Amino acid sequence: MAQLTKRGVMAAVVCSDTFMKLGTAQAKVFGVPDLPLLKIQHPLGGLAKDKVRERAAVALPQLLKFVKEKQS
Amino acid sequence: MSAVRNMLDAPGAMLEVDDDPEALYELLCSKGWSDGLPVIPPTAERVERMLKYYDRALEEPIAKIPPRYGAATPVRVAANAVMAGCKPEYFPLVVLAIEAMAEDRYNLYGTQATTHPCTPFLIFNGPVARELGINAGQNAMGNYFRANAAIGRAVRLTLVNIGAAIPGVGDMATAGTPAKFTFCVAENEAASPWEPLHVELGFPKDASTVTVIAAEGPHNINDHESITAEGILTMIAGTMTITGSNNAYYVGQPCVAFGPEHAQTVAAGGFSKADVKKWLFDRATLPLNRFSSETIERRFRRKLAEDYADASTDAAVRMFKKPEDLLVIVTGGAGKHSAYIPTFGNTRAVTRALTRADGALAKSVEDLRK
Repeated sequence: MAQLTKRGVMAAVVCSDTFMKLGTAQAKVFGVPDLPLLKIQHPLGGLAKDKVRERAAVALPQLLKFVKEKQS
Repeated sequence: MSAVRNMLDAPGAMLEVDDDPEALYELLCSKGWSDGLPVIPPTAERVERMLKYYDRALEEPIAKIPPRYGAATPVRVAANAVMAGCKPEYFPLVVLAIEAMAEDRYNLYGTQATTHPCTPFLIFNGPVARELGINAGQNAMGNYFRANAAIGRAVRLTLVNIGAAIPGVGDMATAGTPAKFTFCVAENEAASPWEPLHVELGFPKDASTVTVIAAEGPHNINDHESITAEGILTMIAGTMTITGSNNAYYVGQPCVAFGPEHAQTVAAGGFSKADVKKWLFDRATLPLNRFSSETIERRFRRKLAEDYADASTDAAVRMFKKPEDLLVIVTGGAGKHSAYIPTFGNTRAVTRALTRADGALAKSVEDLRK
């Protein structure tokens, strides 16, 4: 995602709340401190489909907001 | 004034603290610069002394340590080695281990940040390990011996203090492992009936090497009853076959650390190291139906579809994918015990030899003394 961002491609990372500190630190390390992290509830792994859909429903508005801001 | 002292005198390089050991301990813990245990204060004099056996350029970083990708400069690593309790003679082996971990195939980033409880398992071979007293005998994987404790600890402190492997931030291990304090042994070459690991890998017998692999802590294999090679290997295979192991899913390199008595019995049965690996490759397997139905469906049928998409439920799941992938060493002292060391899976063992600045093998640590 860092590479895509550096190439000018809109990119974001879905990140569970437990991993937000790691995600934030890594975005800085890889030179894209403003890389959007779409925060969802932990965990994502090992979920049934309905729970995955719940996470997606939380992530999607964040993604749309990011895209709209980028376009404006 | 020395080059080291110049570096240490640079603005921000040093911190003035109270001489009181408890105050220092409190300060380091509050800043997250320890592994939770007290350390030796890395004063300028001690750091300078630690570099007495370092014959490379001080300006050249040894590696960049993820996830922060901090520069592991010789001076920074030396400070961590002081904190860990290393003698200056140990320092070249700390550096060697860090260089090995920095090779791509070790996967330092993945092993630092993962939720899996892995840590560098350091296996030393050759004359320098003996010279420095790295324990290969009784309680080799346990406590008490300074070289094992301090070398492994120096590597771990480097990973934390330079790489930012800080729990919950850069080290996401779910529960971790006590092996994260130190996990460092020498192979008991004198008691082994087989060629030592470094010779098996193509290094000269008089080379001094480190082999690093990202591993879990060891699991004991008690076998007081078997008196044949096949008997002991059956017990080892039984210990290796566990459903919750990363080695069931990845092309990894788990390790069997034979106790010398088990090794002697197996070798007396006519088994070479290659025979041991092949025997365990064939028998350290679990039928697919031992895994949960969800794991079979989601992991084996989908993620490992090439091998298991249409496999029957009694298909064999191997704990390593090629016989030569199994690491076999001999370590420890008297007793009817061996150990199985599972790994992160997505990590390959890296072996490097200790050399002088001119590239020649170091026969003794004294070859590196400045």
